[in-house]
Parts: sequence; structure tokens; C-alpha cells
Amino acid sequence: MKLVIGGYSQGKLGVVLSNYKEEEVEVFDGLLPPDEEQLTKTVIINHFHNWVRNRLLQEKKPEAEIESYLKKHPQTIIISDEIGNGIVPVDAFEREYRERTGRILVNLAKQADEVVRVICGIGQKIK
Amino acid sequence: MMTLIIGGSGSGKSAYAEDYLSDISKNSRKYYLATMQAFDMEGRMKIEKHRKMRNGKGFHTIEQPMDIDTALNEMEEPKESAALLECISNLTANEMFSGEQAKDSREVTEKIVNGVKQLKEKLNHLVIVSNNVFEDGIRYDETTMEYIKAMGMINERLAAMADQVIEVVVGIPVAVKKGN
Repeated sequence: MKLVIGGYSQGKLGVVLSNYKEEEVEVFDGLLPPDEEQLTKTVIINHFHNWVRNRLLQEKKPEAEIESYLKKHPQTIIISDEIGNGIVPVDAFEREYRERTGRILVNLAKQADEVVRVICGIGQKIK
Repeated sequence: MMTLIIGGSGSGKSAYAEDYLSDISKNSRKYYLATMQAFDMEGRMKIEKHRKMRNGKGFHTIEQPMDIDTALNEMEEPKESAALLECISNLTANEMFSGEQAKDSREVTEKIVNGVKQLKEKLNHLVIVSNNVFEDGIRYDETTMEYIKAMGMINERLAAMADQVIEVVVGIPVAVKKGN
């Protein structure tokens, strides 16, 4: 698994796609590929933070879900916004979203073979 | 040569950028392209603080809140000169919000990138300061998101044009893109 992290509008997907031919990858925007889908291409989960947010809004457990997904599909590329470098939000849900997304990303980074941080459209391998 | 310097608010990026430009430009003429427009006391104080910081560093200040390439008209021998453009967040806001209606992020991106291209071609050294406003995860109103998106696109394009990209963290420069 590869994790790509960086701020909003930093060109993260572009950095990932520059390593692949168009026909080699399939991009899922803010969702995990459905279970029944047979995929031969490399799966990119873009806007992963939006998926976490939606699972939290539905009162699900994204931690367990992503863990079991990755057990079955260890070759996934996950792209997420960095959302933690700001003021702690006043709203309780926003606080929980930020904190849990951060923890999930820390765990993913631990498991990942490679972690890339993108700023100004430039990827830096930090693991 | 062109260098892009990015950092958070209060990261020390301006002070670093000024010293960096002074180092590389040696004895050549130095211009400071100021983009901030003061609308209130706080703005005027911020401008005054930055003026004091630059004092004694030998910068010629050009006030250029918009149409950044027209600053070239105020310069003598740009080919022998160095300039510090500070900063992309003010310039983007001025370009985007100066009309009756906010301009589209792509239009603003093209205008600013083309302006910087002119500066880069005509100057000996160009150093640009930009802000890291992308990592707080907050969903602002549509206009603000459009502004942040424009800044993201501009930073990406400027980074591609630049010979060096440096991120300043607690006053410490971290190389993002290394030139020769």
C-alpha cells in the first residue's frame, strides 16, 4: 500500500498518475471499490478523507473498514488531504472528523510501503 | 534564476526570503515587490513591520498589488537586478476580488503565472514568497474555496517553473526542489 498526503489543491493525484499509464489505474473518488467488483487495475482511492468523513456521518467505523479492505487488497494507493494543520474546530463533529482522520492516516502510514507528501505539485518521499 | 519559498503564517518565511535574496544577489540592485493593500490599522501596521524588517537591507520597494509584470516598468536594468515578490496570497486575493464579481480561479492563475513568467525572463534573480493555506481541512464558503484552489494551482505552476522550491518551517529552510 502507498499513502499520498498533502494539502488541498496541491496536485496529489497528478503526482500519482505521472507514474502510471492511464489504462493501468482506476480512480475511486471518496469511496472504496465495491466488494463484488473484480479489479485488475491498480486501485487509487482519491479524497480518502471524504470517505472517512462520510463513514463518520453515517456513524460507521472507518478504522475497521479500511483495515479489512486493505487486508484483502494490499496493493492499494490511498490519497488523502492533510486536514490537521489548522485551529481546533469549535464544532464537535468537525473535531472528531479531524482527529479520527489523523489517527487513521498515522496507522496507514505505519503499514504503508511508501508515504509521499505533496506540496506545490512536488512529491517528497517521507517513508 | 527563480526560487519559490513557501511556509505557514509566522513561519519566518519573509525574513528567510529577504536574507536569501540578499545572499544570492550580492551587490546587484534589489527590488521588493509589495502586494499588500492596507485597508485598516492592522494592515498598515503589518506593512510597517515588514518595512522595518527590510530596513538596511537595501531594497527598493515597488508597490504592485495587481498586474505584477508591470513592476518591470519601474526597474532600471532588470537583467542586472534581483526582486523579491511578496506574496502570492495577497496578489491572488487582489486579482480575484478587485472587480464587481470574484474572478474564476483559472483566469486568475493564468494571469499571475504569465506575469511571473515575464518577471523571471527579464530579471537576473526572482524570489517569490507564498503561503501554505491548504492543510487545515476546513470547508469554507465557495468563494474562499475557489481562492484556495487558485493559490494551489498557482503554487504548483510556479514550483514547476522555479529552479528551487524551499519550505520554511519554524524559520528552518527545507528543500522541496533542488536546483543545480
